[in-house]
Amino acid sequence: MKDAQYSVLRKEQFDGFISRLSKLQRVVAPVARGYNNYSFEEVSSGNGISLKYIPTILPPKKYFMPQRETLLEFDTGRGLNSEAVVECEKMTIFGIHTCDLAGIQCLNMVFTERPRDYNYLMHKRKINIIGLECNEYCDEYASCALVNASTPSGGYDLFFTDLGDRFIVHINTQIGENIIESTKFFESAGKSDLEDLTELRAGKRTLFTKEVPVEPRYIPELFDRSYNSKVWDELGERCLACGNCTLVCPTCYCFDIKDEMDLGLKSGRRNRIWDSCQLESFARVAGGENFRKERSLRQKHRYYRKFRYPVEKFSRFFCTGCGRCSRTCMAGIKLKDTLNLLIEEFEETVSTLMEGNY
Amino acid sequence: MKRPKIAFFDFACCEGCQLQVANIGEPLLEILERIDVVEFREVMSEKWDGPLDVAIVEGSITNQHALDRIKQIRERAAVLVAYGSCATIGGVNGIKNSFDLEDIRRYVYHADYRLFPTAKTRAIHQAVPVDYSVNGCPVNIPEFVDVLKAILLGLPYEVPDYAVCVECKLNENVCMYDRGVTCLGPVTRAGCNSWCINNGNICYGCRGLVSNPNTKGAQEVLRKYRIPEDLLLKKMEMYNMCRELDKNEQT
Repeated sequence: MKDAQYSVLRKEQFDGFISRLSKLQRVVAPVARGYNNYSFEEVSSGNGISLKYIPTILPPKKYFMPQRETLLEFDTGRGLNSEAVVECEKMTIFGIHTCDLAGIQCLNMVFTERPRDYNYLMHKRKINIIGLECNEYCDEYASCALVNASTPSGGYDLFFTDLGDRFIVHINTQIGENIIESTKFFESAGKSDLEDLTELRAGKRTLFTKEVPVEPRYIPELFDRSYNSKVWDELGERCLACGNCTLVCPTCYCFDIKDEMDLGLKSGRRNRIWDSCQLESFARVAGGENFRKERSLRQKHRYYRKFRYPVEKFSRFFCTGCGRCSRTCMAGIKLKDTLNLLIEEFEETVSTLMEGNY
Repeated sequence: MKRPKIAFFDFACCEGCQLQVANIGEPLLEILERIDVVEFREVMSEKWDGPLDVAIVEGSITNQHALDRIKQIRERAAVLVAYGSCATIGGVNGIKNSFDLEDIRRYVYHADYRLFPTAKTRAIHQAVPVDYSVNGCPVNIPEFVDVLKAILLGLPYEVPDYAVCVECKLNENVCMYDRGVTCLGPVTRAGCNSWCINNGNICYGCRGLVSNPNTKGAQEVLRKYRIPEDLLLKKMEMYNMCRELDKNEQT
């Protein structure tokens, strides 16, 4: 660790820092909504921010790819005039946990693939990211260690770690440097600050251990062997197909496109709105054919989209271990349980084969 | 384009959905430039006996007289819109179907009950073919305007067939079940933009149930949250009793 890359913010300066920053640009941060729910909301001071929070209802992807967004405005009055639209403003998101930083990294890969998604990229260019370390687990639903997202690995401008009476702040980009300089509340980090950080990280290595008994590198194979598993049928029997699991997922990005006409029926807008593979209508096509009519197939698809297909395409899992899908599921479908069931089933098959009882 | 002739009619209902039109406010002026309202009992005195481009019908069919009348309206109208919960799913009027018709008639009209013939409550589509539906109690104005635009463009309008939870999540509301309150969002058709929950209320299921609810899964959920099944069924019955008639037709 090089000292120059680190600064320190005293806790008593935190409120001042956020207030100052919010005068320069829009700042959003995790805010308590009651009943142990949190969401990223606009703030103007540090007091309203929940520094200890479990993952927000929606991940910060809502700022990179809003729930509803206009892509195009058109006018068919004289010929066909259409104009691409991006509605975005400069902002800083404060307090993104490492799981959600991983989520943004996943979306970056998806949307920079050609053809590029310029709306996403324009939002991304305007958003500054300040990460916040989890010193301990948020709750039992998290599985961030399994997917190697419990400690920071880039994807931010600044990264805050709580050291009790102060934050130690990693400066990762020029934008981060600018934030430090323009707000003027930071001190340079000393040797003891860096030692405390090293100690905290060492402690985290024993605290955060892979939450499911499988070597991550074997997960793709596990899924290859589980395509016809009865686990998917069990999930299908319980799933209400409400779509909650995908809508709160930091790496789900499926959307629908809908044209909205003005009352004059000449001009209008082309909007995109979040969609979900869990909804019955998602895979229905012209003629009424539905490629994933069964809930079990849709749940299976969700898991393969996190643990198998993106490994092929992007060489990483698209599960960040945030635990939102498990937390929000009315039917109690929990990601860790599903993985455990797949592992158990796989081990049973192996032992049966070994005993020659097939 | 010629302004289509549109009339509003009502059957058994509170006429609150029609009142929603009067409540649109300023955008109503622009809407009225596009349509020619020829009959609308709640806001104007004029009547219209001729053919109609669009009949917007609020209320449910609850007796023979209503059945005759809706058939006549259907014959006169090129497009028929079921408007509001009473029209689209039977709504609260459907509660009548839980009782013996003779008993319920006596209960309501006492000694003179024979003067008031009645029949099982029906949603409009259970009496005559319907072209468009605007669900809700009351209807959600943005959705009504969307349906109106679809009619003017000659396009179909699909009422979403997924749970209110979808829109509720997009609006990032704290889940009612997290608050310890029973909400019908998980089994109710979306399209209202989770209007009630956005404003701190629960979903009462006024838009009808999704067409393929996971009944077994829902029972598991009730057990998980320790909600008596009877309580939830009663909540569903408030708006959804006429669903039984659809089921009977299918079998």
